[in-house]
Amino acid sequence: MAAENSKQFWKRSAKLPGSIQPVYGAQHPPLDPRLTKNFIKERSKVNAIPLKNKKASSFHEFARNTSDAWDIGDDEEEDFSSPSFQTLNSKVALATAAQVLENHSKLRLKPERSQSTTSDVPASYKVIKSSSDAQLSRNSSDTCLRNTLHKQQSLPLRPIIPLVARISDQNASGAPPMTVREKTRLEKFRQLLSSHNTDLDELRKCSWPGVPREVRPVTWRLLSGYLPANTERRKLTLQRKREEYFGFIEQYYDSRNEEHHQDTYRQIHIDIPRTNPLIPLFQQPLVQEIFERILFIWAIRHPASGYVQGINDLVTPFFVVFLSEYVEEDVENFDVTNLSQDMLRSIEADSFWCMSKLLDGIQDNYTFAQPGIQKKVKWRKEILDEEDFQGLLMLLQNLPTIHWGNEEIGLLLAEAYRLKYMFADAPNHYRR
Amino acid sequence: MAKQYDVLFRLLLIGDSGVGKTCLLCRFTDNEFHSSHISTIGVDFKMKTIEVDGIKVRIQIWDTAGQERYQTITKQYYRRAQGIFLVYDISSERSYQHIMKWVSDVDEYAPEGVQKILIGNKADEEQKRQVGREQGQQLAKEYGMDFYETSACTNLNIKESFTRLTELVLQAHRKELDGVRTRASNEMALAELEEDESKPEGPANSSKTCWC
Repeated sequence: MAAENSKQFWKRSAKLPGSIQPVYGAQHPPLDPRLTKNFIKERSKVNAIPLKNKKASSFHEFARNTSDAWDIGDDEEEDFSSPSFQTLNSKVALATAAQVLENHSKLRLKPERSQSTTSDVPASYKVIKSSSDAQLSRNSSDTCLRNTLHKQQSLPLRPIIPLVARISDQNASGAPPMTVREKTRLEKFRQLLSSHNTDLDELRKCSWPGVPREVRPVTWRLLSGYLPANTERRKLTLQRKREEYFGFIEQYYDSRNEEHHQDTYRQIHIDIPRTNPLIPLFQQPLVQEIFERILFIWAIRHPASGYVQGINDLVTPFFVVFLSEYVEEDVENFDVTNLSQDMLRSIEADSFWCMSKLLDGIQDNYTFAQPGIQKKVKWRKEILDEEDFQGLLMLLQNLPTIHWGNEEIGLLLAEAYRLKYMFADAPNHYRR
Repeated sequence: MAKQYDVLFRLLLIGDSGVGKTCLLCRFTDNEFHSSHISTIGVDFKMKTIEVDGIKVRIQIWDTAGQERYQTITKQYYRRAQGIFLVYDISSERSYQHIMKWVSDVDEYAPEGVQKILIGNKADEEQKRQVGREQGQQLAKEYGMDFYETSACTNLNIKESFTRLTELVLQAHRKELDGVRTRASNEMALAELEEDESKPEGPANSSKTCWC
C-alpha cells in the first residue's frame, strides 16, 4: 500500500529530479500567455529586428569558443591527479548546458517574453542592436561619432540591462499595483523605520528580499551606518554630515589641480564619461560634476587606495536611490537642473557618505596589490576546482520543483508526514 | 568534433588608461566601434581565429586595465603572452611617454622572445594630435618593433596590426623550432594541436609533428 502510494506520488510529479527545464531567472520569467500576444504585435512593429542574440547565439557556442581559454596556460599549480574525472564532469556539464540552452532557445524563439519584460526601458534600448548596426556601417566608412548625442545608440561592451532594470525599479510611474504581500511588507518597514529606535537587525532581515522603493533611501542610509537608529538624532546627523561633506569640498576640492593630485584627478576625469555611458542622466554636466567631487574627495581622504577604476560605479546606485526621493517619473532621463540647489546638495552628500561606508568594508580590493581581489579569486578557484560544483549549479538553475504548486507541495508534505508517522516508533530506521 | 584551428596563442593589449585598448579589441574581433566603453576592470579577453600562411591561428586577446593599481593583477598575464601590443593615444603625449615604462614592464615580466608591436591609436583625431607619426616610428625603431597608427573608430590598420603581430609570433616560434631544441617545446606554450586523424594533409598538419 505504502509502496503503491509513493509510486503514484512520484508519477504525479512529471518533472523528474534533475530533468532539464527552461531557465527562468530575473531575465527569463515564466511565460505569460497574456503578454505574449501583445508582444508579438509589438515586435512586428519594430520590424522583426534580430535581437541581441545574433552574435553570441548560444551558450553552447560560447562554451565551445572559450573552452580552450586556459589550454595553453601550463600553470605550475595545475592539478592532474584526476583528469578523467574532470573531463567526464565537464562533458556532462556541457551536454546538460547544451540541452538547457536548446530548450531555452526554443522557448525564446516563440514569444520572447524576456524581451518584453524590459518594456519599462525606453524604446531606444530595445532597438539598440539595429541602430548600432546602422551606425557601424556608417562608422566604418569615415564618420566618427564620439559625441554624446550618439552615445545612447551604441552598445555597451558589457551587459548594461541589469543596471537599467534596477534604475527602472526606482521609477514610481509604471510600476504595477502593489500586491497585498507588498503592502504588508511596506507597512512592516514603515513601522520599523518610525519606531523611536529602529531595530537595525530586524530591518536588515526584512531587507533581504529587497527594500520597497518608497522606503529605500532611508533604509539604505540606516543600513549603511550613515544614519543613526534613533529617530530623534537623524535630522541633526544628516544636517551635520552634509555640512561636513561640503566642508571637505571647500577645503580640498581646489587642490585637484595641484601636482600631487594630478594622477588622481586625471583618472577620475577619464572615467566619468565612461560611467553608465548609455544612460542620459549620467551625461549631464551637473551629474558628472557631482560624481567628480564625490570621487575626488573620497580618493584624497583614503590615500592607501586613492581613486581606483571601478569605484565610480559604486556611486551610481546611491545616487539613483537618493535622487529618486525627488523624482517621480523616469529617473534615467530626468533633467537634474529641475532640482533645487539644496536637493542636489543632499543627494551628493548622502551618496558620498553611503559610498564611503560601503568602501570601508571592501577597501582591500583597491589598495596596493589588491589583496581583496586576489583572495576572492583564489577562493573562487577553490570552488571551481570542486568536482560537483558545475552539477550543483546546473541543478540550482533548473530546480525540478520549479513548477510546483500547492498541490504538489501538499502531496509531498503528506507523504513526508506519512513516512514520519510510520517510522515514529522505529527511529533507528532513520539512521544510515 | 574537430578543433577549428591549428595553433593557439595569446596576445596582450597594454597601455595607459583610455588609449583605446578595448576599442581596438572590439573592432578587431567584432568589427564594432562604440565611443563609450566602461573602463576595463582587471582583465578581459576575446578570441578570434585568423588564417596566416595557411595556418588557422586561434588568438586569445587579453585586454587589460590601464590604471597602475591594476598592474599587480595584469602583470600576472604577461608571463603567458606570446605577443604584446603596446598602445598609446596619438592625442596624448603622456600616454606616449609612458610606453617606455610599459616596455620595461614587458622586459621584466613577459617571457623572453615575446613579440611586441607599437600602436598609436586614435589616428582619426588629427586635430588633437600631440604625437607625430615620426615620433612613433622613431620609438618603435629604438625598441626594434613594428609600428602602426590605428583608428578603431575608422577601422584603420586594425586587421593589419593584429595580423602582423600574429605573423611575428608564428615566425618567432618557427625559428626556435627549426633551431636546436634546448628547451622542452611545451615551455613555449604555443601549440595545442588537434588530435583529428582524418584531417587531410596540409601545412597545418605537417607542422603537427614539430609543434606539439
